[in-house]
Amino acid sequence: MSQNQSSNLTDMPTNTTRSSLNLRMTVYVSLFTALIIIGGYISVPLPFGPVPIVLADLFVMVTGLFLGFKWGLTSVALYLSLGALGLPVFASGTSGLAVLFGPTGGYLFGYLLLVASVGFIASKGKQSIIRNLIALIIGNMLLYAIGVPWLKTVMNFGWAGALAAGLTPFLPGTVIKITVAVALSRVLLPRFKQTLLSASVK
Amino acid sequence: MTFFHYIHRDTVLHRMDGRFKLLCMLLLSLSASFASQLQHYLVLLFVVTLALLIAKLPFKALLKDLKFFGILILIVFVVNAFNIPGDPIPNFPITSISLQGVITGLRFAARLTIIIIVCAVLTGTTPLMTLRNVIEWYLRPLPFVPEVRIATMINLTFMLIPLIFDNFAEMMKAQKARCVELRKNPIKRINFIVFPLLNQTLRRVDEIAYAMEARCYSEVRTRAVFKSNKIDWLLLAICLSVFLFVIL
Amino acid sequence: MALLETQDLTHIFPDGTVAIQNINLKFNEGEFVVIAGANGSGKTVFARHLNGLLKPTKGKVLIDGEPITKNIVETRKKVGLVFQDPDSQIVGQTVAEDVAFGPENLNLPVDQVEAVVKESLEAVGLSRLSTRSPHTLSGGEKRRLAIAGILAMRPKIIILDEPFTGLDYPGVVQVLKQIIQLHKTGHTILLITHELEKILAHADRLVILHKGKLVEDGKPEDVIYRSENYGVRMPLRDGEKVAALTWLK
Ligand SMILES: Nc1ncnc2c1ncn2[C@@H]1O[C@H](COP(=O)(O)OP(=O)(O)OP(=O)(O)O)[C@@H](O)[C@H]1O
Ligand SMILES: [Mg+2]
Repeated sequence: MSQNQSSNLTDMPTNTTRSSLNLRMTVYVSLFTALIIIGGYISVPLPFGPVPIVLADLFVMVTGLFLGFKWGLTSVALYLSLGALGLPVFASGTSGLAVLFGPTGGYLFGYLLLVASVGFIASKGKQSIIRNLIALIIGNMLLYAIGVPWLKTVMNFGWAGALAAGLTPFLPGTVIKITVAVALSRVLLPRFKQTLLSASVK
Repeated sequence: MTFFHYIHRDTVLHRMDGRFKLLCMLLLSLSASFASQLQHYLVLLFVVTLALLIAKLPFKALLKDLKFFGILILIVFVVNAFNIPGDPIPNFPITSISLQGVITGLRFAARLTIIIIVCAVLTGTTPLMTLRNVIEWYLRPLPFVPEVRIATMINLTFMLIPLIFDNFAEMMKAQKARCVELRKNPIKRINFIVFPLLNQTLRRVDEIAYAMEARCYSEVRTRAVFKSNKIDWLLLAICLSVFLFVIL
Repeated sequence: MALLETQDLTHIFPDGTVAIQNINLKFNEGEFVVIAGANGSGKTVFARHLNGLLKPTKGKVLIDGEPITKNIVETRKKVGLVFQDPDSQIVGQTVAEDVAFGPENLNLPVDQVEAVVKESLEAVGLSRLSTRSPHTLSGGEKRRLAIAGILAMRPKIIILDEPFTGLDYPGVVQVLKQIIQLHKTGHTILLITHELEKILAHADRLVILHKGKLVEDGKPEDVIYRSENYGVRMPLRDGEKVAALTWLK
């Protein structure tokens, strides 16, 4: 097996059994959806600023890095659909269309863009830290590009208010999460791809 | 933590065919979004409150949900009341509040309340297993949608959550015993949580995939069967008429 | 002809780890074999070749004289594997749904699925827990549920990977009784463990793996005295017979 395989998960060697790979990806998608849900329940206090950070968006970023565009997007779409159905999966156990179309709904839909762009950019070509970092930064910019105007519209805020409520308090957390996501991908991602490959090639 | 809001009772709504129930709840949610006049809201509130009573769901569980939404509703109400231009309310001391603003705010609050109750009734009376089968059933006719795979994903997600949570709780205990609180660097703190969590669960999930393969996992599999009766059709008819009443 | 046979079975992982090496073994119908070995000796990797979850780097596995890869679904029905960690094997939201997972994969009609689920749950004595969430079961019950999930496929051979880990005394007794019952009802049993004192009295044969190689294969009373050479505790005290090695009274 070559070490410099392409990072695209669907681009497997020819002796891969299709069904076995599909099963594996099905299971991984479920895992990352579960992690995103759990991330909404885990909050970590910051030494500065009043807003503790939740880890849901960190796991969305990690999902993009690990699963790539197609399966990552599936995972986040599953997350949103479960919430829309009324299962208590959004931050601190909330759910339903009310949340999805409420003031913070933009961030939830933004997760789709976040995971899609991270997955798309990070899995193009050879894995590198710089590429992952760029993917994460662009992804998060898109997230806020939807989240903040949405908040502004739903809440009838002015721009200053929307930015103060929906962007500034979260920026330190986002920087931290990007750092963690990059660190994680450096250590765990190569091993993850290796397992996936050895499991599907057999 | 209660992930499954399902509460086992023996009521009409619990026995109802899941396919009909999902459709009814969808119709009521849609009605709430389209409602524009006072009588629409009154009818809808009446119907959903009745459903809540029939389902014999404890109000306590609902209150927990409402606590979060209560704040949300209040904020939206206040913001709307102040920001929407219009006529001041007669005989009211605060003149910056407009009548139109208050009405918009009330509308939003009513809509939100209805949708929350609808969700509570649906998840409170339907086990996750049924809900998953219903989703699978509705996705069947759609082309290019792997409905069995989606059903499996829903299933696995909710099977994994308690496992991961236990794992997480164990880990936090072990770290507390080693005074993790003294670490101030948030990057380190998060790394201490996320790294082992991801590492362990990835391994575990690998085992799950093997175990499913060992039991011949296949996407061509036995399908759930549903049975409907007259009551299901009757309830659907009621919800449909509410919907028509609102949009017409 | 042996029911299940491995020829020259070797597995080398992509990172270069040689997990098992040139293993030649035959298992006959109705046998009760204990496979022992220290941690990392390759027991789990070996077991996963027997139903085709892992593909050998070299060698092959035969069932009824045919390569298992010829009809992999049929093989997996015949060779049931109970995993080391029951939590990773249980996929249903309820006990009954979990047992149904296998037969549903085989696309059996709904009434047949129901019948086989009922039968399997009765066989392991979990009928009254059929609507419980598996997550809330005790260790012994979980392990029996995992066994029921395998039974629902109507296997001929049942491989149990360390079925006693993490169980308390009543748990071990529950599972032990279950395994002996399975053997009585005509199943061929391959049981992986290093806790010989719990089970060996019931076995016909003891196989020991050491660093991926087959080092011992024979009657328990012959092999057991050499087990400590391979990192498996020899549980017999002076004058004790192998027949004493059971946790059943
Ligand atoms: N996916 C893998 N990649 C690389 N090496 C592996 C992998 N899985 C197992 N191994 C290695 O193969 C060897 C045999 O492992 P195996 O799990 O079969 O041991 P075991 O006898 O079951 O041990 P235990 O008693 O701990 O369960 C070990 O050295 C292990 O590190
Ligand atoms: Mg093992």
